Amino acid sequence: MGNLVIIGPRSSGKTTYLCALAYWPQRQAALHHQSIFDVDPIGEDSENLQKQAKNVIMPQESLQGTKVLTFSEMAQYQFQIKVKKKFSNKTELINLVVRDSAGELFDNLASGNINPDHEEIYQDFLRKDVVGCLILLGDWQKEDDEDYSASIKNFLSFLDQYDRNHDLKIALAMSKCERGELWTGRIDPYLDIFGAHLSQTRLVLEKSNFNQKNLEFFAISTFGVLARNDPRPNRRDEPGKKGKWSVLREPQKWKPYNLIAPLYWLSTGKKLGANV
Amino acid sequence: MIELLNILYYYSKINCEEVITLGIIYIGDRATGKTSLALELTNPKYNYVRITNCQYQDLKDKLFRDGEIQPTAALNSLYENSLQVEVQLPAGAKNLSVNWVDTPGEVWRKSWRKDNPDNWQKLLNNIQESEGIILVLPPYREMPSLNSSVDSSLFPTKEQWCQRFQRWVNFFQFECPKAQQITICLNKADLFCNIEKEESELGYHPRHNRKGWFERHSYVKQRYFKVVQTQLDQISSATEGAPVRCFITTIHNRSLLELPWLYLASQL
Repeated sequence: MGNLVIIGPRSSGKTTYLCALAYWPQRQAALHHQSIFDVDPIGEDSENLQKQAKNVIMPQESLQGTKVLTFSEMAQYQFQIKVKKKFSNKTELINLVVRDSAGELFDNLASGNINPDHEEIYQDFLRKDVVGCLILLGDWQKEDDEDYSASIKNFLSFLDQYDRNHDLKIALAMSKCERGELWTGRIDPYLDIFGAHLSQTRLVLEKSNFNQKNLEFFAISTFGVLARNDPRPNRRDEPGKKGKWSVLREPQKWKPYNLIAPLYWLSTGKKLGANV
Repeated sequence: MIELLNILYYYSKINCEEVITLGIIYIGDRATGKTSLALELTNPKYNYVRITNCQYQDLKDKLFRDGEIQPTAALNSLYENSLQVEVQLPAGAKNLSVNWVDTPGEVWRKSWRKDNPDNWQKLLNNIQESEGIILVLPPYREMPSLNSSVDSSLFPTKEQWCQRFQRWVNFFQFECPKAQQITICLNKADLFCNIEKEESELGYHPRHNRKGWFERHSYVKQRYFKVVQTQLDQISSATEGAPVRCFITTIHNRSLLELPWLYLASQL
């Protein structure tokens, strides 16, 4: 069983991402989509994610922010991912337990003035049985790059402190890549998203003593685009919320992009082609 | 008939799930219909929102005198009632234990606040701690479709209405910046629109919704809140929680009456 944690700033789409993952089987069926993956959400917490997808995301609403909770209070989202092997009848099984954190946790890292309660949570997040961390980022402006790099710098000092520099995997992902400015960069996010927009953040990770073999860059789009030949984002932004709140534009066309690749890499160390 | 079958189908799937406890508060000026909205919700003729612990007639007897609903007592500042609400959502039934708080319209007057500082503070604490806030507004006189048989002098003018709305914006901005869910109901919809037509546009159907929540809100905002669109965005940016959502409500149409509750239940 691989324990994973997800961190990232407020409104970067962490819980929405997990809802989409839990709702994946229903979406696949609705779209008549054949994939090499099958996702099975297990347990009450994961079923709640499915319900949120059905009650909130599909009827065009945004999820509420996640509250700061202690590690033991946090929901444990358990998934079994089945990967059908090409050219054989074999299936690879991946069991995951994912913990989702409040955005406040990541945002407060930037100040360097870390709340003792948050420090305890990070201590739990960096226990030896946690194999990987998905860092989900949502913005790409210069000031965002400054904030993200400051947060990640302090996160890296926690890795040092808890001796996880060499054995923890980090998947750094840009979420909401359906946005026009990012969609074309999804093929090579290392260069065209992180290199082009978040170079300071990338540099902080690359210049650190973190084991670079355990670092990978991803582009994710939980909402996706309208169709293969219609790359308009399947999202509508809420006025007054500075683009931080968005809802599905056409729920029936909801097809997330690249949801599983970072989790698969964090669990197995193997990379996948995109669009699965 | 199909609707009835749908309802029966969903009720057959009710299971014993965890009950979520919530605080939901009605606020608004005097005589906007806050208490009637809440009372009507207990009516046993329901679609997807059912009150399971409260009898319509008992509550009606309690609140009505001489055939008219009594104004909520200002001296108490709050009228609290515990409601068990069962809401049918696309993923099944959700049971909410709602601490329904009704407020008298008088409390929004400056003089009342000045004379009752303790009660005002108590009310403010209640609002700030509530998961959901339902602001109930009356129509204004100049609404183009306002029913001509209605005595329009009972309603504020457009200018007064907009000024009052700005005060609500300031209230949310300065007193409730942490509000999670603010819903605004333009009440007495039967007086200013064709409620059957609007029901067909906005009505909720768990399996085949014509509109999502965002679309419903955009529709209502465009048609009925056009004069305060900027202020609505201002509330959304000034508060931490979800963006504000607008509804039209009336006690004469169950479907429109239930919408804010269906929305809150899906969100909370």
